[in-house]
Amino acid sequence: MGSSKRIYLFTLPAIFVIGCFFVYPILLSARLSFTDFSGVGLAEWVGWKNYDRFFSRTRYLYSVWITIKFTLVVVIAQTMIGLVFATLLHRMPAVRNLCRAVLFTPAMMSCVIVGYVWQFIYSPYSGGLNALLGMIGLEEWQRGWIGDPSTALYALAVAHVWMFAGYTTAIFLVGYANIPRDIEEAGRLDGASSWQRFRHLELPLLAPSFTVNIILSTIGTLKTFELPFIMTRGGPDRATQTLSLEIINQLFGNYKFGFASALSIIMLIIVIAVAVLQNTWLRGREDNQ
Amino acid sequence: MTQMPRKALRFLAQGVVVAATFAMLAPVVYMVAMSFRTSEEITQAPLALPETLYLGNYANALSQMNYLQSVLNSLGITLSVTVIVSLVGSMAAYPLARRTNTFTRIIILLAALGLATPNFVTITPIYVIFRNLGLLDTYVGIIIAFSALNLPLAVFFYTSFISAIPKELEEAARLDNCGDWAVFWHVIRPLLGPATATLSLFVMLMVWNDFTYPLLLLTDPEKFTVMISVYRFVGNLNVKPEMLFPAAVLGSLPLLVLFIIFQRRIVAGVTAGAVK
Repeated sequence: MGSSKRIYLFTLPAIFVIGCFFVYPILLSARLSFTDFSGVGLAEWVGWKNYDRFFSRTRYLYSVWITIKFTLVVVIAQTMIGLVFATLLHRMPAVRNLCRAVLFTPAMMSCVIVGYVWQFIYSPYSGGLNALLGMIGLEEWQRGWIGDPSTALYALAVAHVWMFAGYTTAIFLVGYANIPRDIEEAGRLDGASSWQRFRHLELPLLAPSFTVNIILSTIGTLKTFELPFIMTRGGPDRATQTLSLEIINQLFGNYKFGFASALSIIMLIIVIAVAVLQNTWLRGREDNQ
Repeated sequence: MTQMPRKALRFLAQGVVVAATFAMLAPVVYMVAMSFRTSEEITQAPLALPETLYLGNYANALSQMNYLQSVLNSLGITLSVTVIVSLVGSMAAYPLARRTNTFTRIIILLAALGLATPNFVTITPIYVIFRNLGLLDTYVGIIIAFSALNLPLAVFFYTSFISAIPKELEEAARLDNCGDWAVFWHVIRPLLGPATATLSLFVMLMVWNDFTYPLLLLTDPEKFTVMISVYRFVGNLNVKPEMLFPAAVLGSLPLLVLFIIFQRRIVAGVTAGAVK
């Protein structure tokens, strides 16, 4: 009865879909990355030329650096903000659900709309941010936030963090809910202050939530495309040119399918490497605590 | 004696936190408020609230962005993707939840590969494959692309859900000589309602908000999803407020209403999907 092999036939449709749309495309991408395919006509085998091009031109390495910098800023800010909100809300059951829903609202919106709205908030003339700064007497801070290469990437990071901070908060709150009540009670009976309980009891017990949050936001941010595409198109002066934006530009701007494939393979390697490293490090950290 | 001030302090702290979370909604309020103002009003007083509810922006957006057609497109695509993903995903999950061996481990690894792969990595080959198959700019093509994108998550979702269903429920059916398919269809499938509801909300969110696939795979305005209509309507880097804000409200409204109704289920579903 239990030895029926026919049950495995149930996985055939899924194997077909995953094979056709993940496995085969990755293999095809790997093959295209060694050619000069331009979308039409024949593809000529060019060996490692596309990869040489990536490593020998600073502009492509620079877009990797931009992507990493953006990811670092977003992941750190988002984790901190999410942790602060979750810690406060954990202590305020009366308002917890309302605040969680309010914080989560931006995550329901599309990156396209978030990008447009923030682009207008940042705009130098009638944008909301400069008007606000003028109103509270900080005229000297006014600027074209996403037109200035020194602030553009951080302005995008603020929009990104705004969008997903509620998501991080919600995951930390699940972590808090999983802390056994008697551990908290014991801490309270021992006379530990709210801060001491946070630092010595809750923070170590939240390690799994840190793992989930950091890995999810890192992977999500590494492949960011919509916000820079909508808000800056990679500008000004390539200050927001992320790797995924570079892939789309090579593909549909320059029709360099071969080179775009090489960039895709490099991106896949970066994402998998970062996910594996983070997973090993963060899971190890969980066990030590 | 010390009880009263402590209570008051606690109340005050809660007030501050509630105010801080509502401050996060400022850009959303800004978006709605600006949609009712003319561009001259916005230029003259960028932060003022609308004095009258000027509806001209909406009339203009509705007539120009083909809104109803694109909402129908998004709904139709979402519905098809949900049906495909929930059927194919739950079928695959059944053996994965009940058997552990090399074969099921390989499938789980493949699904994890699908989950980890950024869609940029596969977008070039998928574009080429779709072009060769004549699937560019078709509903079928975009439905297949979104189904593939959501399937790995569905597999994980259903696997953890089916694992929690007691085996005893199946055994009674097996004694009545039911085959694997009958057990799956008549015993397992009816129990998956809550999981399917959560998954559908997730797919809805994903399909409604996604921009990359329809941008690259669709060119006919009659087939555009909502986000592509918003993008084509609002346009380039110099955004006009009288076009941007009504389009942003129209594009967000259906999902925000859905979120207000199913708030708990969505947050619980999305975080459970992440934590497991």
